[in-house]
Formats: sequence, structure tokens, C-alpha cells
Amino acid sequence: MEDRGAGFESELELELDEGSIVARAQDGDLAAFEQLVIAYQDRLFRLAYRMLNDRGEAEDVVQDALTAAWRGLPMLQDVRAFGGWAYRLATNRCLDLLRKRSAHPETITDLEDLRSATEFRATYGPGGSDPAYEAETAARQDSLTTLLNTLPPEQRACWLLREMHGRSYAEIGATLKISQSAVRGRLARARHEIAEGMSEWR
Amino acid sequence: MAVDDVPRLGCGRSIDRIWATIDQPPSPHEEKCEQCQSARERLKKLTEATRSLRESDLHNTSLKPRLSVKNAIMNVARAEIRRSRRIALHGKENGTTEISEQALSSVIRFAATAIPGIHARRCHIEIRSGGNDPSGEDRPSGNTATAANEGAHLIINLRVAAAPSVEIPRTVDSLRQRISNAITACVGISAGTINITVEDLYDV
Repeated sequence: MEDRGAGFESELELELDEGSIVARAQDGDLAAFEQLVIAYQDRLFRLAYRMLNDRGEAEDVVQDALTAAWRGLPMLQDVRAFGGWAYRLATNRCLDLLRKRSAHPETITDLEDLRSATEFRATYGPGGSDPAYEAETAARQDSLTTLLNTLPPEQRACWLLREMHGRSYAEIGATLKISQSAVRGRLARARHEIAEGMSEWR
Repeated sequence: MAVDDVPRLGCGRSIDRIWATIDQPPSPHEEKCEQCQSARERLKKLTEATRSLRESDLHNTSLKPRLSVKNAIMNVARAEIRRSRRIALHGKENGTTEISEQALSSVIRFAATAIPGIHARRCHIEIRSGGNDPSGEDRPSGNTATAANEGAHLIINLRVAAAPSVEIPRTVDSLRQRISNAITACVGISAGTINITVEDLYDV
């Protein structure tokens, strides 16, 4: 397992280990499955929202992915693979939706949503109460999310899965059906594009 | 364009390589190379922005699905729950008593919570009929197996995860005893065979 940087959520903050919860859910234990839904719905939503920029569609992705997870649970061989599998189900649904969108370009993203998420964020910078620092943090996050949305969907998925969610190269590769070196390549390109874009911004 | 083609600077260094050592002091080449220096600057800003976006998204209460999403998922799960087999406890003239495999599994898992360092996982229960049936397994057509027949007994296959510190043979023995007592106490039948597999160690 690759190390994950600080600041990522632990897999599951509960008394039971996640493997045992997954195993119980495989036996049809609804309470155990509900714990998995609670543990994963928020992070899958954040992923889907940053992929799609649409709250309603992101909710649909979470619902579809976790419903599919319930149906597929008895077939899951390794209980430790649940997290990666849930991310894979959600990521591929996002990519499908984006493909449909590009086939019907009249679909617009939910700008109202985007704005409300942006407004909230500024208060959570690391600078605490320094308004100038907060403003700069907010501006930097804005340019980051704007640039992120200019990346091709699969590159964006690579970047989000790695940088926002701390998933391993192996898992991202399995999700996108590409090799680990291809994951590294896409990540490097995504970082390069965003870093260049951010420097042009100011 | 090759898919895993990594972008390079004019000096030949790949972005990947600069990224990998961004937290360390610049290398002798990077100290001299202007292209590397400015790439490091840009990537450091990106690192900072990435970290701050990750933190704020994590704490952003508006970036969560509505409660209706979880409800819809759980409604599907409840509606589709596999109907587990039922096990007949006894049959008398005034009515029969059955317990579902699921309910019996819950009794077993609950008993297991009393043993420190053990997390019960999957549980599968078979009914073996009495007599000398060499194949052992007897699944009546129908949804109900019976444990009340003369000589029939339950075979419980429980998989568990153990804490790395536990002494497995002793712990598993007391787990088996617990389960046996719980089934007799709650359900009134003998537990028969209890097979326990330690399939994993969990971190405490």
C-alpha cells in the first residue's frame, strides 16, 4: 500500500474494522451496510461534485454507485477492496455522465451551486482570521477549481482521486483501465497544466 | 501522443521528478537552473492550493448529499434483502417455531462481541440431518431446514478477524463456548458444530 499524505480521512472511524463491516454487509446485515453508506457517501459526493459541478447529478452518482455496491457485495472477494471498488463505481458513473454531456452540449453546469460552494469555502482557509490571507486562499482555490474544470475528464478524475482522496496509483489505474505509469503521466500533466494556469492567473 | 508521456522542462527534467522532491531542498542542478526554480515555485503554490481545497471541501457542510440519498439507497437494500433460510426449532400441534439464518447469525455475532480482540464477519449455517447420510448436508426443498429432527444438528461456519495481539487457540475456544451457550440460552437448541476461521487480523 502506498503511503497517503496527512489530511485524508481514515477509512472508517468505528469500533469495528472496515473488513468486518463489509463482511457483515455481504451477509445481508443492513445495519453494517448503512455504516458503509455513511462512511462513503460524503467522499463520493465530493468526488462527483468536483467531477460534474452539479449537485443533483452528484447525488445521483452517489445513489447509483452505492446501490450497485449493495447488489455486488456478495461477489466481492476481498473485503479490503470495498473502498477502492466504491470509488471505481462512482468515478465511472461520472465519466459516463460527462460523455453523455459532451454528446449533448446544451447541458449546462449548475452555476448557482458552484457559487454557493465557493462562498462557504473562504472561511476554512488555514490562515484563521486574517482577511487578506483568506481572500488570497479563496482566490487560489477558485483558480484551482476553474483550471480543474478545463482538464479532460479522465485527467481530472486522476487528479481528484489522488490529490483530494489519496487513492493509490494501482487503484486509480484499475478504475480507469490504464497502467500505473499512465496514471503517473496523467497526474504529472494535470499538475503541470494547473500550475501553469495558476501562474498565468496573477 | 503517448498516454504516459510526462511533460518536461526545457532543461530536460520531468515535472514528475520535480514534484517528487518538492518538499526537499533544491538539488544542485535545481539551484542553478532557472527553469527548475520557477517550476518548483509554481508547483509549491499548487501544493498549497491543493491542500487548502482538500481541507475546505472536507469541512464544507454544503458539500454533502441530502439525507434522501441515503434513504433511497437503504430502501433499495431493504427491499432486495435476500430472504434467508429458516431453521425450524420445533413443531408441535399448536404451531411451529422457526428462526431465520439471519437472526441466528445475529445471536452468534452478538455472543462474539463478548470476546475481546474478535470481530465476527460472515456466518453461514447448515443443518445436518441425523442418521448416516454420508453426504452430510440435507437441504429440504423448501425454505425451511429443521434442527428439531432426531439427531439433526447445526453446523455453524463463522469467519472472524482477530486483533494481532490475541492468542488465537485460547481465544477461539472461548468464542466457541460463548456461541454455544448463547444459542442454547436464546434459541433452545444445541449448537452442534462450530467451525471458526480466523481470516484476517485487524489493526487495533
